[in-house]
Amino acid sequence: MKLEGGQISPGQIIFLVISFCLGPILLKSVALEAGHANWLAILLGLAGGLLIALLFTSLSIRFPGRTLVEFNEIIYGPLLGKVISLTYLFYFFLLPTLTLRLFGDYLTGLIFPQTPMVVIISLIVLVSASAVRNGIEVIARCSQVLLPITIILLFLAAIFSIPHMKFNRFFPIFEVPVAEFLRVSLFTSTFPFGQSIAFLMILAFIGIDSKKVKMARVSVMIGLIGVGLILNLLVLRNRGLLGATQFIEVYTSHQALGLIDVGGVLTRLEIVVTINFLSMGFIAISLLYYNTALGMAQILKLRTYLPLVLPIGILMICTSITQFENVFEYQHFSGDITPLFALPLQIGIPILSLIICKIRDLPKKE
Amino acid sequence: MEHRRKLFITLVLAITLLGSSCWDRRELDDLAIATAVGIDQAEDPNKLLMTVEIILPQNVSTPGGGGGQGPASLNIQSQGTTPFEAAKRLTFESDKRIYFAHNPVLIFSEEMAKKGILPAFDFFIRDPEPRRTAWMLVAEGKAQDLINVQTILDPITGLYIEQLIESTGAASQIATLMVQGFLERLMSPTTAPYCSIIRIKGKENNKSMELSGTAIFKKDKMVGKFDYKEGRGLLWVLGEVESGIITVPCEKEGNIGLEIIRADAKITPAIIDNTLKVIINITEEGNLGEQECPIDLTAPEAWQSLERKQAEAIRQEVLAAVKKAQELNADVFGFGEAFHRKYKALWKEQLKNNWDEFFPDLEVEVLVEAKLRRTGTTTKPAVPE
Repeated sequence: MKLEGGQISPGQIIFLVISFCLGPILLKSVALEAGHANWLAILLGLAGGLLIALLFTSLSIRFPGRTLVEFNEIIYGPLLGKVISLTYLFYFFLLPTLTLRLFGDYLTGLIFPQTPMVVIISLIVLVSASAVRNGIEVIARCSQVLLPITIILLFLAAIFSIPHMKFNRFFPIFEVPVAEFLRVSLFTSTFPFGQSIAFLMILAFIGIDSKKVKMARVSVMIGLIGVGLILNLLVLRNRGLLGATQFIEVYTSHQALGLIDVGGVLTRLEIVVTINFLSMGFIAISLLYYNTALGMAQILKLRTYLPLVLPIGILMICTSITQFENVFEYQHFSGDITPLFALPLQIGIPILSLIICKIRDLPKKE
Repeated sequence: MEHRRKLFITLVLAITLLGSSCWDRRELDDLAIATAVGIDQAEDPNKLLMTVEIILPQNVSTPGGGGGQGPASLNIQSQGTTPFEAAKRLTFESDKRIYFAHNPVLIFSEEMAKKGILPAFDFFIRDPEPRRTAWMLVAEGKAQDLINVQTILDPITGLYIEQLIESTGAASQIATLMVQGFLERLMSPTTAPYCSIIRIKGKENNKSMELSGTAIFKKDKMVGKFDYKEGRGLLWVLGEVESGIITVPCEKEGNIGLEIIRADAKITPAIIDNTLKVIINITEEGNLGEQECPIDLTAPEAWQSLERKQAEAIRQEVLAAVKKAQELNADVFGFGEAFHRKYKALWKEQLKNNWDEFFPDLEVEVLVEAKLRRTGTTTKPAVPE
């Protein structure tokens, strides 16, 4: 039974991984709790993220052509496997609602103060729903178009911000206690790097050719390294432009690019941040949206996931609006709580799955 | 099928064209664009007075002629306990919504600056509309009087002030700071903010304005001012001198003007025998710009002595600024942050919270390496051999 007829190449996986991980984080500097060492925390987080990727790609290599939901049932049996898959699907469902909420808060907070948030969020969900209905190939091609634009804009913004930077703002580098630094690094490896575990649903569409499946693992790694580098470019740019004031900003990148002035002509570049965030966020939301719809269809053994797309979309809109009362709840939840339940899903269960596979010698040859 | 598709496309087009930006649409003719914002203390001590200059587009003349008669801008005022309240009340007097996003200058009266600007400052950094790239200014006297001056070179006062500030580099004697720069310094535990001072010049019907110095803050309170010489001393240390004239005396009579071409500075903190010391290295390049005395300066010895005089003049300017800053106990140069970068542990244990005790007695050494490169279009002065 195949719900998705599409096929993607390992090269497309690189594009997808980068756009997917960049999606929710382009607005803000990451790992600011590590103070001036946040770029180091990101590099350490990247190392952690690569380990997580090694872990979950060995599952996808063991079960080529099968999604997370399918091989969970093989490993844990039909009932427990479904429960575990549902936990994952809940995670995949929750992540895009956080991004949607960020969209809503950002656009209503800074650009459209009078517009109801539900309008903005619904519009984005509608576009994503259309992408999801068209399948994984379309999402992958979207990222192939949107990611180069984003990267070019990011580089241009970084170049234009050089005259406004002060070298002194980068020092002293290391000022936080080591324990705090490690905690921040660990959180960074779960988010944004570790969320690439969502690709357990996507890697199945590489096909069952074992060479391609192994290449897909390398693609995920390359993608994550790309994310780490782009993220470092981003936080160093923000640091160089804003200095200590970055610690009080809500939307760091937005505020930083607002300071750029190229000859009095090219000013107010914040809109670049909005464009980047919209395009990458669209990919990130679509991908997880797709995962949820497809996974749900596979659990329920439907012939197609299409009827699930709109209901899940409506649920996503409602959840993203009702889950938080204000900005602080959002920041507390996404910063302090999400990593705690992400860790078992990203590290614990994959390790357990691999151990069970070893013991039961799965997958059994037919 | 074809029919349905056409219907669908028509529907999509109709929704996107008609439905776009129903909320938050901001039409240009419904906005009053603020070009200067002034904050004064109102007569009621609990209130402040906000003066905003808005453009009257119908009266602004365009390059191809046209434009109406009458003033190009209008000043409106309102009172409120906070700037935001005052800003919202501006609409009592204006039929259009005041739009702060293009405001180039934010002017505080000296009275407000001495009382502390942080309470009134927050609105301008928290609200998404006012830009952090606006210039910070302190007005001698009242900000409202300053904005009320009818400037001649540019009919819009705010834009005129912006131009004044942006051309300070020609003399480099006034230190200027944007809202963002001011904010960054406010957030430092030791570094003191500064901004330009502006005042009204002339009387009655012949008023104009001039930049008269640099206001020095301690935290958010203005504690003193730098005159032109000290202002350039500050800019030397910050490495922000763009151009200007250094005047040194001739041997007998008259002066020599040396034009600054480029300059840079480096601050090196050091701890020598348990005392804190700062070494400032300044490198400068200049040209012989003018001379009043009839002496040939192009001989190697004369040229070298001129370079030495130039270096000494720069040193004196820096020392004057350092002395004044130490008197005011306001670290405008960022020496504290320099120690922070180099001596992390010491900074955390002692300096961070007690910088006020260290700064006035800080030993400062100024090393200037000044070069003279060219003499302009002539060599010797115009005197017969």
